[in-house]
Amino acid sequence: MGTEYPNSPAIPSRPASPFSVPQSSTPFKSSGPVVGPEASAFRHAPPSSSQITPPSSSYGSMVGTEASAFRTIPSGMPNGAARPPPTSGFPNMPPAAGPYQHFPAPQFSSIAQVPPPRTSLAGQPVLWPPVRPVSGSFSTSPVSLNPTQPPPVQMGSPPQSGSMVQPDPVAPRSPIDSQFSAARATMQLSSPTAGSVYPVARPSFQSSFPGYISQQTTAGAQAQPRQSLAFHPKPGGYVPPMPAASSPYFAQQGGYAAPPSVASQLGHPREQIRHPGSTHPMAVMQGLVEDFSSFSIGSVPGSFDSGLDSKVLPRPLEGDLERNTLSEMFPLNCSSRYLRLTTSGIPNSQSLASRWHLPLGAVVCPLAEAPNGEEVPVVNFAQTGIIRCKRCRTYVNPYVTFTDGGRKWRCNSCALLNDVPGEYFAHLDASGRRIDLDQRPELTKGSVEFIAPTDYMVRPPMPPLYFFLIDVSAVRSGMLEVVAQTIKSCLDNLLGFSRTQIGFITYDSTLHFYNMKSSLNQPQMMVMSDLDDVFIPLPDDLVVNLSESRTVVDAFLDSFPSMFQENTNVESAFGPALRAAFMVMSQLGGKLLIFQHSLPSLGVGRLRLRGDDIRVYGTDKEHILRIPEDPFYKQMAADFTKNQVAVNVYGFSDKYTDLATLGTLAKYTGGQVYYYPSFQAAVHKDKLCHELARDITRETAWESVMRIRCGKGVRFTTYHGNFMLRSTDLIALPAVDCDKAYAMQLSLEETLLTSQTVYFQVALLYTSSSGERRIRVHTAAAPVVADLGEMYRMADTGAIISLFTRLAIEKTLTSKLEEARKSVQLRIVKALREYRNLHAVQHRLGGRMIYPESLKCLPLYGLAICKSIALRGGYANAQPDERCAAGYTMMALPVKKMLKLLYPQLIRIDEYLLKKTSLAEDSKDKGIWKGLPLAAGSLDPQGLYLYDDGFRFVLWFGSMLSPDRVKNLLGENFAADYSKVSLRELDNEISRNLMGLLNKYRESDSSYYQLSYLVRQGEKPREGYFLLTNLIEDPVGGANGYLDWIMQLHRQVQQNA
Amino acid sequence: MGDLLSWLFSFFLLVAVLGTILYQLMCLADLEYDYVNPYDSASRINRGVLPEFALQGALCFLHLVTGHWLMFLICLPYLYYNIKVYIDRCHLVDVTEIFNQLPWEKKIRLYKLGYLVMLLAFSIVWMVWSIVDDE
Repeated sequence: MGTEYPNSPAIPSRPASPFSVPQSSTPFKSSGPVVGPEASAFRHAPPSSSQITPPSSSYGSMVGTEASAFRTIPSGMPNGAARPPPTSGFPNMPPAAGPYQHFPAPQFSSIAQVPPPRTSLAGQPVLWPPVRPVSGSFSTSPVSLNPTQPPPVQMGSPPQSGSMVQPDPVAPRSPIDSQFSAARATMQLSSPTAGSVYPVARPSFQSSFPGYISQQTTAGAQAQPRQSLAFHPKPGGYVPPMPAASSPYFAQQGGYAAPPSVASQLGHPREQIRHPGSTHPMAVMQGLVEDFSSFSIGSVPGSFDSGLDSKVLPRPLEGDLERNTLSEMFPLNCSSRYLRLTTSGIPNSQSLASRWHLPLGAVVCPLAEAPNGEEVPVVNFAQTGIIRCKRCRTYVNPYVTFTDGGRKWRCNSCALLNDVPGEYFAHLDASGRRIDLDQRPELTKGSVEFIAPTDYMVRPPMPPLYFFLIDVSAVRSGMLEVVAQTIKSCLDNLLGFSRTQIGFITYDSTLHFYNMKSSLNQPQMMVMSDLDDVFIPLPDDLVVNLSESRTVVDAFLDSFPSMFQENTNVESAFGPALRAAFMVMSQLGGKLLIFQHSLPSLGVGRLRLRGDDIRVYGTDKEHILRIPEDPFYKQMAADFTKNQVAVNVYGFSDKYTDLATLGTLAKYTGGQVYYYPSFQAAVHKDKLCHELARDITRETAWESVMRIRCGKGVRFTTYHGNFMLRSTDLIALPAVDCDKAYAMQLSLEETLLTSQTVYFQVALLYTSSSGERRIRVHTAAAPVVADLGEMYRMADTGAIISLFTRLAIEKTLTSKLEEARKSVQLRIVKALREYRNLHAVQHRLGGRMIYPESLKCLPLYGLAICKSIALRGGYANAQPDERCAAGYTMMALPVKKMLKLLYPQLIRIDEYLLKKTSLAEDSKDKGIWKGLPLAAGSLDPQGLYLYDDGFRFVLWFGSMLSPDRVKNLLGENFAADYSKVSLRELDNEISRNLMGLLNKYRESDSSYYQLSYLVRQGEKPREGYFLLTNLIEDPVGGANGYLDWIMQLHRQVQQNA
Repeated sequence: MGDLLSWLFSFFLLVAVLGTILYQLMCLADLEYDYVNPYDSASRINRGVLPEFALQGALCFLHLVTGHWLMFLICLPYLYYNIKVYIDRCHLVDVTEIFNQLPWEKKIRLYKLGYLVMLLAFSIVWMVWSIVDDE
C-alpha cells in the first residue's frame, strides 16, 4: 500500500467514487478496536459527534463487521460494468453482490494481524504530519487509544459516524432501527473489518485508480471534491516521509484522516459546508446497501428457463468459511475450534428466540487438536485450590473482574462477589488489572487446563486400559491379521507409558479368555462354552499391565490370527462376550474395541436379519430398522458408561450385521463406529491400520464428564452426540478425543434477558493418559442482541449445519427418512422466510431470493444433509448398515469434518500432476486447489479429478484422458477393471506427484484414512456408486438438484411470505 | 352389601394405581432436580410400571365382573393405552434416553394422575350412592 500511495496522481479521477465520509469514519474505527481506545480519551476528542452514537454499544462492534461487508458493494460500483447489471430496483444491490461480499470474512484475520495495536501506534506518528493539516482531532484520538479498552466503548467514540449521519434527515437515529443502526454501527466499530475491506476492494481499482485513491472509491459513490483536494497535497508532498514499510492499513488511515466529521469539529468551514450535501445521498445509499445477499429468480416471460444461472448460486468451494466476528469482539474467547455458537448474537427475549427458526445452540469439541504453538496452557492451582464462583461454580476466566484492591473478584456469569484466596491475591494496577496478569494464563486465555486436586476424584485416576473383543468366527477376510499386526505395531505408542493395561477376549460360538500373566511365556487360552451363565475364569490376569506382560502380549498377537485361520465355526456369541468383557473391565473402565464380523447369533443379545425388508420402507415402522432391536444393548451401553468404559465398534461384514443395534454401544458410551463394508485385507488394510492405530494412540481423555455452563437466563436443554447424560446437564464421557464433538441447544429461561453479554463455559473434567486429573475449561462470551437481523448477521453456518445434521439423524430414529428430510427443508424455509419478512417492508424484493450473507451456503448444506448417506433416498439408496454407520459417525463429527463430508471437495488434478514443480512450492499456491461445484458438469472427460470427502478419495478418470497418463499412474493394468487396480507409487513423475498429493491431503486430515477408489468415466455401476450419487448438486435418483432445490425453497419462502 | 364391597375393593385398587403413578412421578422429579442418578431413577420407575399396569387391569376387570359398566367404560381408554405401549415395548423408560424422554414421561403420568383422580371421584360418589341405596 505504501508503494501505491505515491501513485496518487490518478486522484483526479476520484470524483467518480468518493464516499469520503464513511471512509473517514472507518479509519478511525480501524484504529479503534485494534488499539482499544480508552473511553475517556476517545470521547473528549469528538464530543460533538458522540451524542448520536447508539447507546447499545456492546454489540455495535459486531454489527460493524458485518455491515462493513456490505460497504464493499459501493466500492465495487465504479467498475460495475464487470458485474451483471442489477435486475431489481436496487441500484446498489446487484445480484452479484454475493461474490463481493465474500471478501470481508476471510480478510478479517489478516487484518487483525496487520495492525497490531502497538505497532500501528508506533507507525502513526510517522503518518501524523500528513494527516494533521487536514484534521487535528484525528491525531488526538489515536494517541489516546488504550490497548486495554474493551471494544464496546468504541461506540461512544466514533464521531465521524455521528456527524455523517446527522445531517441526513432520513437516517433514523434510534438504535432499534435495524437497518440503519447497523449501517451506522459499521462505521463506528468495524475498524478492523473496514480496514480489511479496503485492501480487498483495491485490486479491482488498481488499474484505474491506483493506491490511495481506490480506497477513497471504496468509501462510496458521492464524491467530495473538497476533501479530495485537501488530500492531494498529502500524497504528493508527504510521500517521502511516509515509510515504505507502512502497511496498507496506514495508508488508509492517512487517507481517511480527513473525515469531514472531524473536520467539522475542528471548524473547517469548507468541509462543513460540503458535508451535509454529500452525506445525505451517502446515508441513503447505506440504507439501501442492504445487508443481505440475493439473486434473482424470475423467469423471463415466455420461456421455461428459470432465469437463474446455477453459477451464481453460493457454494462453499473454499471449505468452511468461518467468520470470526465473535473472536474479534471478544478476543479473550476460546478458539472456535473448541466452541462454535450457531449464532453469536444471543436473542434477548423468548419472542425473539422463537422467530429464529434455526437451531440455537453450540457445537463443542473440547479436545480439538490445536496447531503448534497454540496448545492449551496448563495451570496448577495446587496451593489455592481451583478458583471458582461460590454460587454458579464458574471457573475463573478472563472475563472475571477484580475489585476491592484485588481482594475480591466478580463472577462474570452471575455477578457474585467472591473472595480472592490469600495465595491468589495480587495487587491491581491503576487500570484495575492484576499486576500479575502476564503470568496468569487463566486470566488471559479463553482455554486453559487446570490440574484438579483430589476433590475432583472419586477414585484414583485410572490407567489407560485397552480391551479388545474380537470375533473370530470363520473370518476369511484377513481382518484378524491386520488387526493383530496393527495392535502389535502400536504397542509402543499406546498412551500412558508404563501404566497401560491391555486384555483380549475372542469369541465364536464359545468365549476364549487369555491369561497373560507376566510370568508366563505363552498366553493361556481358556474356552468357555456356557453362554447362559458367563463368569470370569480368572480374577486377574485377563487384563494385564502392558509393560510387564509385553512378551506374552506379543506372543499372543503373533499367534492368534493363525490360530483361528481354519476356524469353521460361523456362530458369533457376541452378547455373552460383551458381558464377559464388561465383567473384566468394570473395575477399571477404559476403552473396549469390538471387532464384529457377523450378526450376533448366539446367547443373549442375538439379533436377526431385519434390515432387508423392503416393504417396511415408507411405512410408520421404517424407523424401527434404525433403532436397536434388543434392549440388551442399551442396557449394556448404560452399564458401560456407568463403569467408565467407552466402546468403539468396528464392523466388517458384507452382510447385514445390524449396526443399528451394535452402534448403540458406541453411541451411549462416547465411542465411535467404524464400518468397512465387505472388508478385504488387500483393499482396506491401510484404512483399518491407520484408523485403528489412530484410535488407540491418539490423545484420549478418560473417565470424563463435561458440563457447559452459561449465564443467567440461558440454559442448555438438549444435547446431541455420542454420550450419555448423567444428569440434566452433565455429559458422561468414558473417553473423549480430538475427533469427537458434541452439540447442544439452548433455550431462554426468562422472557427477557437483561444482561448485555452471555458467557459460556465448557468444563471437561478428565483423567489424562499420564494419570493426572485435569479440567479443561473453555470460556466464551457472546453479546445479547435485540434484533433478529443481528442474529442472522452473526450466524455461523457450520455450527447450524452441524446441529441440523444431528437433529435430522435423530429424527430418522423416530420417523421416516422422508420426514427427517422434510424437517430440514422446513426449518430452512422458515428461517429464510423470516429473514425475508424482515426486509420485505423496506425493500422491493420482487422475485429475488434473499438470504443473509452469513447463511449463504445454508440451503446447499441443507440439500447435502438430505443427500448424505444417513438420510438419502430410501431402501435402495443405501444399505441399512451403511446408513446407520454414517449416522453414528456424523453424530460425533466436529464441524469442519462435517462440512467437508456434506460438501466434499472436487478438484481437477491432471494439470497439476504434469507440473514439474516440487510439491512443497505448490502446496503454498492455494489457487489451484479451488474446489469445483459438485455437479457432473464440472467433470471434463479429458481430466482427472479428485473427490475428497474426508473419509475417502475417489479418483475419476475422464474417458478422454490420454492413455499414456493413465498408464503412468496405474501401471500396466491400466485398462483392467478398476475395482481390482490399486494405486501405488510408480517410478515416474506423475505417479509420484499423485501419491505425494494424496498423502498431503491425508496428513492434513488424519482423523480418518482416505482410501482411494479409482473410477473410470462411464464405468458402471462403480462410477454411479462412488461419484455420481455423491455429486449433490445434480438431481440424482429422484432427489432435487441444487437449482431445483433453490427454486423449491424459494417458492415455499414466498408462500405466506 | 356385595355391591358396597366391590366398590370398596375397587376404591382401594384405584388408590393403589394412584400410588404407583405418584411414585413414578416422584422419581422423575428427583431425576430432574438431580437428586438421583438416571440408573437408579430408571430402575425405580420401571419397577413401578408393571404393577401399575396389572393393578389397572385388575381394576378394569373388577368393574367388568361386578357390572359397573360405566366405570368399566371410563377405565377402558387407560387400559387400551397401557396395552398399546406394552405391545410396542415402550412401556419402560430407557435409561440412556431418560433425559430426552423426561418431559414426555412426566406429561403422560400427569395425565394419568388427573384421569385417576377423576375416577376416584366417580368411585367415591358411586360408593356413597351404593351405601345410601342399601339403606
